Amino acid sequence: MTATDLAIVLPEVFLALFAIGSLLFAAYTAKDDLGPALTWATAAVFVGIAGWVALSGDTNRTAFNGMFIDDGFARFAKVVVLLSGAAVLVMTQEFLTRRGLMKFEYPLLIALATVGMMMMVSAGDLMALYMGLELQSLALYVVAALRRDSPRSTEAGLKYFVLGALSSGMLLYGASLVYGFAGTTQFAGIITTADEGGMSIGLLIGLVFVISGLAFKVSAAPFHMWTPDVYEGSPTAVTAFFATAPKVAAMALFARVMHDAFGNAVGDWQQIVAFLAVISMFLGAIAAIGQKDMKRLMAYSSIAHMGYALVGLAAGTEKGVSAMLLYMAIYVTMNIGTFAFILTMERDGVHATSIDGVRGLSKREPIKALALLVLLFSLAGVPPMVGFFGKFAVLTAAVDAGLGWLAVAGAVASVIGAYYYLRLVYFMYFGEETDAAIDGAMPTVQWGFLVASAALMILGIVNLFGVDGAATLAAITLVN
Amino acid sequence: METILLFAPLIGSLICGFGWRVISEQGAMVVATGLLFLSAFLSWVVFLSFDGVTEQIQIMRWIESGTLATDWAIRLDRLTAIMLIVITTVSSLVHLYSFGYMAHDDHFREGESYRPRFFAYLSFFTFAMLMLVTADNLVQMFFGWEGVGVASYLLIGFYFRKESAGAASIKAFVVNRVGDFGFALGIFALFFLVDSINMDDVFAAAPELANTTITFLWGEWNAIEVICVLLFIGAMGKSAQLLLHTWLPDAMEGPTPVSALIHAATMVTAGVFLVCRMSPLMEFAPGATTFIVYLGATTAFFAATVGLVQNDIKRVIAYSTCSQLGYMFVAAGVGVYSAAMFHLLTHAFFKAMLFLGAGSVIHGMHHEQDMRNYGGLRKKLPYTFWAMMIGTLAITGVGIPLTHIGFAGFLSKDAIIESAWGAQTVAGTYGFWMLVIAACMTSFYSWRLMFLTFYGEARGDKHTHEHAHESPTVMLIPLGVLAVGAILAGMVWFKPFFGDTESVAKFYGIPVAGAEAHDESHADDSHAADDHSDDHAADGPAEDSHADESHAETAVASDDHSDDHAEEGGHGDGHHAAFGGQPGEGALFIGPENKVLDHAHEAPKWVKVSPFIAMLLGFLLAFQMYIRRPDLPAKLAENQKPLYDFLINKWYFDEIYDFLFVRPAQAIGKFLWKRGDGNVIDGGINGLAMGVIPFFTRLAGRAQSGYLFHYVFAMIIGIVVLVTWMSLSGGAH
Amino acid sequence: MDELLREYLPILVFLAIAIGLGVVLLLAAAIVAVRNPDPEKVSAYECGFNAFDDARMKFDVRFYLVSILFIIFDLEVAFLFPWAVAFGEISMTAFWSMIVFLLILTAGFAYEWKKGAMEWE
Repeated sequence: MTATDLAIVLPEVFLALFAIGSLLFAAYTAKDDLGPALTWATAAVFVGIAGWVALSGDTNRTAFNGMFIDDGFARFAKVVVLLSGAAVLVMTQEFLTRRGLMKFEYPLLIALATVGMMMMVSAGDLMALYMGLELQSLALYVVAALRRDSPRSTEAGLKYFVLGALSSGMLLYGASLVYGFAGTTQFAGIITTADEGGMSIGLLIGLVFVISGLAFKVSAAPFHMWTPDVYEGSPTAVTAFFATAPKVAAMALFARVMHDAFGNAVGDWQQIVAFLAVISMFLGAIAAIGQKDMKRLMAYSSIAHMGYALVGLAAGTEKGVSAMLLYMAIYVTMNIGTFAFILTMERDGVHATSIDGVRGLSKREPIKALALLVLLFSLAGVPPMVGFFGKFAVLTAAVDAGLGWLAVAGAVASVIGAYYYLRLVYFMYFGEETDAAIDGAMPTVQWGFLVASAALMILGIVNLFGVDGAATLAAITLVN
Repeated sequence: METILLFAPLIGSLICGFGWRVISEQGAMVVATGLLFLSAFLSWVVFLSFDGVTEQIQIMRWIESGTLATDWAIRLDRLTAIMLIVITTVSSLVHLYSFGYMAHDDHFREGESYRPRFFAYLSFFTFAMLMLVTADNLVQMFFGWEGVGVASYLLIGFYFRKESAGAASIKAFVVNRVGDFGFALGIFALFFLVDSINMDDVFAAAPELANTTITFLWGEWNAIEVICVLLFIGAMGKSAQLLLHTWLPDAMEGPTPVSALIHAATMVTAGVFLVCRMSPLMEFAPGATTFIVYLGATTAFFAATVGLVQNDIKRVIAYSTCSQLGYMFVAAGVGVYSAAMFHLLTHAFFKAMLFLGAGSVIHGMHHEQDMRNYGGLRKKLPYTFWAMMIGTLAITGVGIPLTHIGFAGFLSKDAIIESAWGAQTVAGTYGFWMLVIAACMTSFYSWRLMFLTFYGEARGDKHTHEHAHESPTVMLIPLGVLAVGAILAGMVWFKPFFGDTESVAKFYGIPVAGAEAHDESHADDSHAADDHSDDHAADGPAEDSHADESHAETAVASDDHSDDHAEEGGHGDGHHAAFGGQPGEGALFIGPENKVLDHAHEAPKWVKVSPFIAMLLGFLLAFQMYIRRPDLPAKLAENQKPLYDFLINKWYFDEIYDFLFVRPAQAIGKFLWKRGDGNVIDGGINGLAMGVIPFFTRLAGRAQSGYLFHYVFAMIIGIVVLVTWMSLSGGAH
Repeated sequence: MDELLREYLPILVFLAIAIGLGVVLLLAAAIVAVRNPDPEKVSAYECGFNAFDDARMKFDVRFYLVSILFIIFDLEVAFLFPWAVAFGEISMTAFWSMIVFLLILTAGFAYEWKKGAMEWE
């Protein structure tokens, strides 16, 4: 029994042991000098575990009396999380080293956060959920404040921590309400109590609180307020991580809770999720227009994108979940490329992320500008870039689920949102060069990620590299 | 062969329009013209070898959508064959003529290439026109219909630097849209009721449609009447009939070869062709055909009156065209479609020639078009003079009364006038008198044109007159060819078009119902027709048992040569025979109670002579006013000023339309542009993009204050809203 | 109408009690409290804070560090107590689970020691 259980959670155990062992090893030996090596090693471990998870068969298993679920959905999310985490680590190592931020804790905290994420997406119980969530969050609070001597970084860490604590409290309160009214913390038990239309008001309010807590993690409006400040204040390397893996994990957890625990009451949470989706899409699009900083811009961009992913979730169907997973995979790919660019924005050796920096970029760096153009078009959802197909999938899912108005709202919001992406393109190609123009050279790794990500956005239109098929398979295991 | 002749002009157009840089201007023009001559040659082969039996040649499946299945196919019957020779002959001659006419043009800059474009447009027009006449279904016909509209638009506005040409092309296009709207509605109505737009299905459904009612606009109508009127509205637009005629005179802004080809010989006759093509429907719609007669007769009269006082040589001919088209519609309206086609054919020859002759004069006079500045050109342009003279003799209808000897117009025009009389209805009588009066005026303005241009003293700029010269040979050859047609076309084809019932029926492949019509030699052919007619005998439109029985003896004309027809048909006393067959059988359908052709032949002598007398009157009047007393016209205009103004201003149609339609439309357009588009839409979008959204952006920026308690506040508000909402709505219920 | 208003009566009652209680407590603190300050009572705390001072003052973040580290081990003990009480009846799984927990805690402790978090300077 225990041995079987342990076998199922072995990838997580392995990663946790790696993190703890490395922590002690590094602390007692070379300390921060080991940072770069550890970063690469962690990335390698991530990739290895991703392969391990991906190839561990297609059976659906549970461990620890249903507290831990290992199904196709969890594996898909884990692979995306691990691969994007590895990509971010590789991409940011050079950045952190150059800025003197290469602490050996960084890759290990990322690894611990990733353990938490893997826990989250596999959670089959409200307690397992909370444990994964907190493990992830606590590690992230710390990395947000990685640059200890910078007031902005510590401010970011502190804000994230305080608000995160509040959201954890709400989640916990919701979980206790759900437990109180359902009599169990296991999703498999809750789903038998939470029937369509037959939910007691207490369970309903519990659901609202749980959703609020989860919405904070995916930074959906109106629980998004931390996002711009934290994105801007944290070191760009950390921001790049925030914008990718944790979002996937949180969205997957969101879907997991909604379908596994409240799958019989789609009508109840559908309205809430749709409401969050609409506000997020519009707020992300509208507020981003006023931003002058690339990182803040990307924060609002991620809020809007989470809105679209929630549209897929709001559909409450298998197709919706599959569209959401596809959307998240595409979103992560686009963000890695974009952050690879943002990481290298500098002027006179100083990291400068003002959007004025890209003015006239096309004349100085035509390839970079072109790659960024592709990514921005893809983020805006302009066909034929892959980003369009992601949006198309979630909107179709919403229409099929009878949420036509939601799809219309999504389309309208994407029109508004296109403005700020295209404004960057305008700056790059038609903008007058100012004295804020970035001038730094681009290291090969970042350049590679930027160009590769852009290339994927174009090449992917052939068959999306089969990701949509995998997402559909993953969605089937979750919804049915 | 049919396919080749159909697509040769298109290929020519493409090569000429896009390939002239490769094969040189001259080469491109030669290719386009050569292909058209090929097409013309094949058309004549088709026409002469045609046996009267309708053929369908499928080219490809065109549209398949729901119950709408449409082939791209050629419907080859006598109507098509006639139109083929008219179109390709005139078109090839006009191509040839254009070599000379378009050689130099002051409207274009030095070294600017415009000739390949002109030839490409001409060839494209020819292709579209062929598409129109060979159409096997109404959508294909509509394609051709719009294609010629486009070509006409492009060619009228060919002198794009000339503002009036641009305005005229737009006017032509817009006025035609009005007609096309009717045509399209007619097609819709047919598809709505028959569920098919293929000619065969539509024709077969005609008897049924006559007993169907349809709700249209404000009331219930007989379906077939509505359809026929709608289709005729389309014809009105294209054929410049009254109310929709205003574009045709303005269309003279285009180069003269265009006027000859499009606005005299071919495109404007598309309306007549449409009515004839739709004869199976028209025969069941007495109300619609009466309307056609009234409108055609009125147009003939109206256009003739306006033609009396015009000074621009091309405008005179344009109004003449308008008037002659009215004649054709009268013939079609009273049910003698063959006479309409007859006049269409002859008119194509002599009117094209008149235009080309006018073009030759204009060319010789350095693009001077006002007849008041002509005079005495007989010596300077001898060949042109004689060509114009033949054309005038043809259009005025000179011939020997009570025989079948005369210029083309004599035979065809008299046929129409007799048909109008033969209708023996109020409308027919009205038509008869109107047409006779119009014939008198036709004669007057045609001779006026001749006298003002070629006789009398040279007027206007002396310099121009000194340099007036005869046109080059390439321009004279077409004139010669057309002259032959103008002289002979009437006499050669009188029998098949307006002979006795039997010869007409043979020519058009219409089954004949009548004891005398039975012919042993056609026994084999009639066998084939037997099976066919039996199928339809039960629900046939024929009301008299005479027609029903005679189906068994149906004969299908199968002679190889139309010339033979004329000779063979001469012997019969076939006016006891009657047209038979079902709608869609043969090129025309003439109802069993339609005896207009016979009545026309039996018209009293004074009726038959009346157009000739009218013609003489017109000639004498013109001779008096422009040769013997050239000062008379001015005095007359002085004395009868209101009438003169009324005529010279074309009955004030343009002014009335300007007031009724153009100004309100402009006002509405301006309102929608300034208020609707400018203020509401632009204002709305700009307001949204530059006012509302930035406002919210600022608001969002303000909310993002950086203070933790604001952030917490937002989260709490969110929770409160969600909890309240969920509590009140109680979840999913 | 009266019926409807009557339903809100409990709220009115609650409101009155809440206000009354608040006022009573405030007054009680002012009236009943014994004030007998001596030098030890008013002297600064070990953390350096004055006994009577503004709550929103700046202070050394190291106090936080110490208290957080203390709380971790405080909680550890809180977990250990029930475990120890039931030690005789629990399974091997429960035993090893606690050992793993303690090991992880120890690893963290070793790390913070090496990092110097225990040093005041």
